[in-house]
Amino acid sequence: MTSYIREFLGMEKPKGYYTELASEIEKKDAEYHAFTTLNRKIIDCSDGSVPFTTKANICVKGIETTAGSKMLKGYLPPFDATVVERMLNDGKFSFLGETNMDEFGFGTFGLNTEVPARNAFDKDYVAGGSSSGAAVATAMLKYHVAISESTGGSIATPAALNGVVGFTPTYGAVSRYGLIDYANSLDKIGVMARSADDARMVFDIIKGKDEYDTTCAVEKINDEGKDKIYIIRELMEKTEPAIKKAFEKMVDGVGKSYEIKEVSMPILAEAIAPYYIIAMAEASTNLAKYTGYKYGLQYGEFNRRYNDFFTEARSNFGIEAKRRIILGTFIRSESVKDKYYTKALAVRRMIIKEMAKLLNDGFMLSPTLPIPTPRVSDAMKLTSVQNYAMDIFTIPPNLGGFPHITFPYDYMDGMPMGAQLITGHANDYALLDFVSEWEKGFQYKYKHNLGSL
Amino acid sequence: MKIGLEVHVALPTKSKLFCSCSMADTDAPNSQICPICLGFPGSKPMLNEAAVSSALGIANALHCAVNNSISFVRKVYFYPDLPKCYQITQMDGAIGSAGHLDIDGKKVRIRRVQIEEDPAQIVREGMLTLLDFNRSGTPLVEIVTEPDITTEEELRSFIANLRSLLYYLGVDINKEIKADLNISLPPKDIRVEVKNVTGIKSLIEATRFEIERQTDAIKNNEGIARETRGYNEKSKLTESLREKETDEEYGYIYEPDLTTFEISGTKFVKATYVGRIASELAEGTDVNPRTIREITMLDRHSLGLIDKFKGKYGLRSIIHGIQRFKKYGSEEHASDAEIEKIIGLVESGAEVTREMVLDILAGKDVKVEYSRLTDGQLDKMIKEFLEKNPKLLEEYKKNSKTINLIINQIAQKNNLHPKDVAKRASALLNSA
Repeated sequence: MTSYIREFLGMEKPKGYYTELASEIEKKDAEYHAFTTLNRKIIDCSDGSVPFTTKANICVKGIETTAGSKMLKGYLPPFDATVVERMLNDGKFSFLGETNMDEFGFGTFGLNTEVPARNAFDKDYVAGGSSSGAAVATAMLKYHVAISESTGGSIATPAALNGVVGFTPTYGAVSRYGLIDYANSLDKIGVMARSADDARMVFDIIKGKDEYDTTCAVEKINDEGKDKIYIIRELMEKTEPAIKKAFEKMVDGVGKSYEIKEVSMPILAEAIAPYYIIAMAEASTNLAKYTGYKYGLQYGEFNRRYNDFFTEARSNFGIEAKRRIILGTFIRSESVKDKYYTKALAVRRMIIKEMAKLLNDGFMLSPTLPIPTPRVSDAMKLTSVQNYAMDIFTIPPNLGGFPHITFPYDYMDGMPMGAQLITGHANDYALLDFVSEWEKGFQYKYKHNLGSL
Repeated sequence: MKIGLEVHVALPTKSKLFCSCSMADTDAPNSQICPICLGFPGSKPMLNEAAVSSALGIANALHCAVNNSISFVRKVYFYPDLPKCYQITQMDGAIGSAGHLDIDGKKVRIRRVQIEEDPAQIVREGMLTLLDFNRSGTPLVEIVTEPDITTEEELRSFIANLRSLLYYLGVDINKEIKADLNISLPPKDIRVEVKNVTGIKSLIEATRFEIERQTDAIKNNEGIARETRGYNEKSKLTESLREKETDEEYGYIYEPDLTTFEISGTKFVKATYVGRIASELAEGTDVNPRTIREITMLDRHSLGLIDKFKGKYGLRSIIHGIQRFKKYGSEEHASDAEIEKIIGLVESGAEVTREMVLDILAGKDVKVEYSRLTDGQLDKMIKEFLEKNPKLLEEYKKNSKTINLIINQIAQKNNLHPKDVAKRASALLNSA
């Protein structure tokens, strides 16, 4: 069992520990941009609790929460998200700050925001997105856990690229109350940590029903071990050779304890389209409320017609947000809705059905990304469609609301590589068990260990 | 002519549709608000089950088909009164569909009964546009009819029947009724909508104006535009808001924050159909069912009194007694026992006066003391009356029921028991 939380709680902290930690973070963060807000009040914290961060789309009372958007500059939520409330009530944790992200979660590499976070292993490389800051902070700080969020891979991708454990629970297991919506039927709050046991500890605190989120309805989390692991042929075919080779080597090792089966499930190679259709349709309605006068950005110029005011205020969205608003609005329009939105919902149901059947029988395992970590300069050259294709492994479980976990399994040219394990609805503990077991035979590496004692 | 309605009714819940903010009346703007009804980033709706129960009662009363579960949609449009810039409403997953409301022997079909949230209120003060979010999130039910109403009379009857039905479900629409109308006239049946008409009186007036306007236009060979109009309460005119070639684009999608909600176990208030009850009560009596209906349509106390006393007193006496009570007394201070005294007096044949009603309600004993006369004295009195009123005698010869009028006039004038007068009067008149 590796638990940095327990280790930290059991240790004597020198006087001024948190003050020094905050200064160290500030210094490092000037290069890595993991944080959007650093809670300097944590300095007063003398109870020895473990620092936790929240992705910048999770509301913390009185703390500027922007979801990485200019439209929310200055938004001070008047309430705590349910997960924040539960973390603070637990008593073992104190709030360290909010972490950087792609605007409203729209991105695979963390680049769709004013000042993108950089990879904790090498700042020339992307941090991954959309929970870029959460992953970088987890890779920078020795004693810390990150509350993060995934819509289509926003936990798994940055966690994999920064070599940390990224756990995305079953949809509906953790309350979304206080989460600034991207696509409500897909959004899931989860955890990043340096070990599966730490992720489990945080999951146990934040999970469970909440009257403020109707969709948070999962009653019981199971722990059903499997003896089979499935690998999907159609997805592996789209993986770059270098990744494929490293992954297969890891699978060979795992094959000593599990029966490995390569199977065909062609529909999963088509999951990107329905995912982006549903995500954009929902996102375009969620972003309607940002009109520049109620909260966040105060556009101010009231002496004009509503439509002109809204149009001018809304020009402050970033380019990817604008793209998704326009595409999403088009998808919802009466003349094409059946062709796109209704069809996407049907394909989603088919994917859930096929995956559930397979996952009932065994885990699904894959690399988390089909390519090695790209450099920032290379990633910037990708078109939108090329960007969306990077989500090929992370989208199926996200579209189906299946719990999944990414964990470091190898290092290539000094950069971490992540693998993703998926299981059936509400079988989240089985994933955490698997990774705990993995950690017994594999030591994760980190470049930074801020806050070491 | 075809008239269809979309009637919006505020449901009588203690809290709002998607949050726990109070629905109590208040004069302080923006005092009953929270992150949810302000649509703050991070907030989510949670469904008020009392509103679902109330809406289910309405769907049931309108004979709608009701599914085991309901779902919601987002209707997206940009307007300052709409906090999220989408309204949470219902479509396919609406609480009721394919129902009807009976009006005087005709069925007006109900297309859909749906639950939705009210936006904030826009208050204009001089150059300023102010927003009061107390109203934001008020639970509404929208009742959508098919265009089955064909006359102003039917429209009145529809509204009256709907109002009565809602009243018995605990929903008062006297002030709050808000409706959109659609009216089309032959031969071309071009659909004209009149939006946001508030109050029953305005609804009738707007309809009347619109029918006249369209009739004149057709008569004068002016075209009728397919358009949306507004009703101006001051000028009592409808005014064109916008012409429309196609339906508005609202980009509906399923509301993903509210999953399908099971209603198979939801309890609701059963409907009271006053028209049907009145007909049943009046059957075999000389009371007009219309009278019963008028008394009881918006008065559950009166309906209760009729039910309570119907074996004990004649229906006519009960109705008459209630009418007297309603005319002179007030509900707050009256007990059923006191109202029964009034009914008893009517039954005994007394002419119940204002003083008598007030005395009874003040707890005083009211007894009617009749003069006692011999048959001879009575006969003399009746003969004198008939001599003075030859017209009534003529009338009687044509219609024997006139005897009741003669009896009542003589009894009241001389403080006699009508039964005593009746005995002698029928003897005399029959022998004449």
